[in-house]
Amino acid sequence: MATAKPHAYPQRYKIDVISDEQVKAVHQASLDVLERVGCTTSNDMLLKVLADHGQRVDFEEKRFFLDPAYVEKMVAQIPRNFTMGARNPENALKVTGEYSWVSTDGCPAQIIDLDTKDRRYSNKQDMSDVAKVADALPQVGILWQSVSANDEIVPVRPMHETHAMFPSTSKHIMQMTACDEFNARGLIEMGTAIAGSAESLRENPIFSNFQCVISPFHWDGDPVDAMKLFAEHGIPIGICSMPMMAATAPASVAGLVTLANAEILSGFTIMQTLVPGSPNFYISYASDLDMNSGAMNPAWGPEGLFAECAASAMARFYDVASVKSTMGTGSLQSDWTAGVQNSFSAMSSLLVGGDFFTGIGSLHSDSIYSLMGLVLDSEIMEIMFEWANGYAFDEEALAVGTIEHVGPGGHFLGEDHTLTHMRDFFRSRVMNRQTWEDWDAAGRPDPRIAAEAEVRRILSEHEPDPLPEDLEKELDKIMETYEAEARENEDDD
Amino acid sequence: MATEEQMYEQLNKGLNDGDEAKSLEATHWLVDNGVNPVEILEEGMAKAMFILGERWKRGEVFLPEVVVSAEVFKKCNAIVEPELAKMGEAKASSLVVMLTVKGDLHDLGKNMVGAMLKTSGFEVHDLGKDVPTDKVIAAVEELKPAIVGMSALLTTTVPQQQVVIKALKKNGLRDKVKVMVGGAPVTQEWADQIGADGYAPSAPEAVEMAKQLIGKA
Amino acid sequence: MAVKGFAWAGEPLEPLSKEQEQLVHERSLDVLQRIGVSTTNDRTLKIMAEQGQDVDFEERRIRFDPAFVEQQIALGRGYYTLGARDPENDLVLDGRHGYISSEGCLAEIYDPAIGDRRYSSKEDLEAMTRLSDALPQIAFLWQPVSANDKIVPVRPMHETHAQWSNTTKHIQQMTAVDPFNARGILEMATVVAGSAEALRERPLISNFQCAISPLHWDDGPVDAIELLGQAGIPVGLVSMPLLAATSPASVAGTLVLANAEILSGMVIQQTLVPGAPTFYTCYATTMDMNSGALNNGWGPEDLTFEIAGGQMARRYGVPSSSGILATGAKQSDWQAGMQTAFSAFEKAVSPSDMLSGAGSYNGSAVFSAVQMILDCEVSDIAMRWAEGYSFDAEQLAVEVIEHVGPGGHFLGEPHTLQHMRDFWRSKVMNRLTWEDWDAAGRPEPWKAAEAEVQRILAEHEPEPLPEDVTKELDRIMDAYEAEAMENMEDD
Repeated sequence: MATAKPHAYPQRYKIDVISDEQVKAVHQASLDVLERVGCTTSNDMLLKVLADHGQRVDFEEKRFFLDPAYVEKMVAQIPRNFTMGARNPENALKVTGEYSWVSTDGCPAQIIDLDTKDRRYSNKQDMSDVAKVADALPQVGILWQSVSANDEIVPVRPMHETHAMFPSTSKHIMQMTACDEFNARGLIEMGTAIAGSAESLRENPIFSNFQCVISPFHWDGDPVDAMKLFAEHGIPIGICSMPMMAATAPASVAGLVTLANAEILSGFTIMQTLVPGSPNFYISYASDLDMNSGAMNPAWGPEGLFAECAASAMARFYDVASVKSTMGTGSLQSDWTAGVQNSFSAMSSLLVGGDFFTGIGSLHSDSIYSLMGLVLDSEIMEIMFEWANGYAFDEEALAVGTIEHVGPGGHFLGEDHTLTHMRDFFRSRVMNRQTWEDWDAAGRPDPRIAAEAEVRRILSEHEPDPLPEDLEKELDKIMETYEAEARENEDDD
Repeated sequence: MATEEQMYEQLNKGLNDGDEAKSLEATHWLVDNGVNPVEILEEGMAKAMFILGERWKRGEVFLPEVVVSAEVFKKCNAIVEPELAKMGEAKASSLVVMLTVKGDLHDLGKNMVGAMLKTSGFEVHDLGKDVPTDKVIAAVEELKPAIVGMSALLTTTVPQQQVVIKALKKNGLRDKVKVMVGGAPVTQEWADQIGADGYAPSAPEAVEMAKQLIGKA
Repeated sequence: MAVKGFAWAGEPLEPLSKEQEQLVHERSLDVLQRIGVSTTNDRTLKIMAEQGQDVDFEERRIRFDPAFVEQQIALGRGYYTLGARDPENDLVLDGRHGYISSEGCLAEIYDPAIGDRRYSSKEDLEAMTRLSDALPQIAFLWQPVSANDKIVPVRPMHETHAQWSNTTKHIQQMTAVDPFNARGILEMATVVAGSAEALRERPLISNFQCAISPLHWDDGPVDAIELLGQAGIPVGLVSMPLLAATSPASVAGTLVLANAEILSGMVIQQTLVPGAPTFYTCYATTMDMNSGALNNGWGPEDLTFEIAGGQMARRYGVPSSSGILATGAKQSDWQAGMQTAFSAFEKAVSPSDMLSGAGSYNGSAVFSAVQMILDCEVSDIAMRWAEGYSFDAEQLAVEVIEHVGPGGHFLGEPHTLQHMRDFWRSKVMNRLTWEDWDAAGRPEPWKAAEAEVQRILAEHEPEPLPEDVTKELDRIMDAYEAEAMENMEDD
């Protein structure tokens, strides 16, 4: 079996869960906050550039304040449409706001072991396996670094995580672990090797990247350097805010949305100042907090879900591409809770829209990856794909002739129309279809069992688009060079 | 005229409600009326925080309230402590030095554990976030804490916990202090691997672990 | 406790484009004109002939003139209020709100004591009614399970008799499909309401009757439609085709057939009782093409059917009832969570007035109290989400953000303390750490739900009926039971 062409989910409904007035209130509040509160950063280059662009900078406190008109001007510079390339150009994504694509989740440090069903620390081979399974699933269009390569040294781990993916998938990779200039440079080298040249990487950026602000309102130095370097090479950059309500954001949905929005606008302003006109996208991972224990609760209840939906409305207001946070169950296993939370989240994504739905396959609030979870989540996305696509209403589908032929009191089972169309409908890969008796006799299996079988089948059968041998060697060489440099730097410390 | 009993009650209620004015008023009254500071600490403040902790475990109290009560506790403690010192009463060492490791700015979990520790009578010295290893070593040498607690959220910063433990060994401090580690990617397996003394998956369990480590459980 | 519902401020989500909706309408009229419906109700055949419709008495088939269909269904236009024994539980239907009922009437119930399904009894029905009464997300009731221990001819009456004293919510009687039971239930409802007039003003019960797909109306249901309609009881018209078996193997064709059947029922109803309160009910579903098993709640087709019916009903200006929360799962597992969440969340943006129903496994074949608790949790999230959140200055919290500043945290802020209890909290989802959860034997949410069922059944006491009313209801029940016994012996 070959690489499954990614589903492009139609952005059919684009529901705004907040009114135009509410959108404007959030926008205005965000501008106020950026002007009055501003952001701190440990990046001196950034402070200097912003000061050069007439923004108020306190070099002592390493804090900058943004002029509202300047923010609006910078945000208006962001192109709405761009291409996210892929190793196999057939899997490239034309980002226009008409379609959405689903990514795998990242980047947990642990994985559910297929054999023991217990969690354990992940390694580079796990990353390769996850990429292979995701490559085979048409529901997935984008791959994140789903697990950490904990068996590799920290300074080049992000490169290793990506290196593990190139042979296993020919889909678009969203690199979300590289947050310093060193790894960014290494990845650009790898990307250039695969794309063929710096120019073709710019035209067909086989990977994208995003960087996070630390809530509230701090930009660490390294991520700013990394995103500048990536953007200079044509890599699309997402600006990510991930506040937690009542902890790193106010205890209100509106405050949560506002803080995230203001932070993302600060990132957009930074990017458009450093690399004008570079493609950026809006990422809000606003989440609930368990008010009692303090545990993070993405996808837990209505508040986080609503805040994420509101973020889609904000991105639409700015006319920029966006991520709609999708899935991320808090459950520790693929049980009822996981089914509920991930389905709510998935359907909300299809309702409100967003260009990238990230991401599927994790448990325990993005802290454990599960290949069974990936298959189950892809089933959820398959249902949403068919649901959002809708159905034909042509004369053949309206079937009045068939109804007439059958007449009152008859049945349709043997009709030609039925035989022609009976395979048009959704069929589950993992849900239980046994009778109660057979299911009981089989030990009452739940969908995890079928999902595990599907994972094992894909791992043994799937053959991703092969990476040319010389290219593989070149990538290995780049990896080795950077690894050597990192070790040298470590020794220096 | 208020009675000692009433003021203990006020202190208990004040700390449980996070009511700074009431708590401070009661603490001042108890000190000014010559109540033994050891008793104020144990029968008043520690007991109140124990009750708060029990309510928290039952899900009645929320984390933001714990944070506020912990701050009030600290302020009450500042009133009682000089009295203890006057008496020459050496407080049993239950100082915890808390930090988020170098390279990591995500300190929310550390703050939560710090707040919970305070509610259980620990003294907490917070070194902050993105803390370089030499600063940890200096703090341990200077403050002589019973425990060092380190948090790390990023998979790339978790290894720093091992770096700190190695540095403690190198500086001959490892036997003088217990080390606790935590953070989303951290497990007991990791704690064992790097030779930490304790690990806990949540803030309340971190408190239990801290008590065990200093033999107070 | 006041009941909860879906309230979506935006325009309801419509799964069909306006052109598609128009096509379904037009082709349904074609079907009713060219194919028509058959019925074993002779009175209807006669009246329709008198109304100028094309009636074939031999084949017992009526073919409807499209203009007549449009004219008759217009008589039923309009929304109304479903009464409840406690007026606080009245449901104002307006095409913008959605209310959930318990599932019904399942012949089997999942019994946690034996860890298995078994046949249900009147006692089970009483208990499940009492449980439903305690859950705010359950706004009205179906008859959750069959009273299998009662004789068939009066079983529907028993099923309603079991409910009066166990709930103060609206009862949708959905098992009475003949005039005998309809009359008995009407008598009971009149006693509880106080008078026929009071019942007409605030109908404590509603009812629906089903077409037999494709395109057939049985005798008894038509008589029940007339009898209940004359008393002012809202009666819904139901089509429940099974795609590829009793309707075409296409979503569009199934909707055409269902719409035609529902419109035919409304035409019959509005001709027999002009202006009778009515509602539109499409319970179209799919089957497993391999085994032929019913697959309600299964996938994208069902999700489409569940909101397409509401869309058609809004076109005709009548309340609608749709399916919700069905699952093919046989336990409260990932599949049950997924299927029920999809179904509930869809209603958050496209609520039918009445949504049925909560608490089942195995394609609405086995009732489960545990699953009902979980369904209420799912519905609660969707309802809260649909309600939306305030974005006023207090909630935007700019001053708080400024006060905290870059790098700080909000945990101890007065704003946080003031609002931290505003948010939704789960009753059943696991909040343990991995270590504690592992040590506890990796419990699943149904365990917490099971405890909640036990707690409610032990604690909840619905508002009792006046003693004289109870006695009168018992008397009516006995009288009808005696009559039924007599009729059985006659047979």
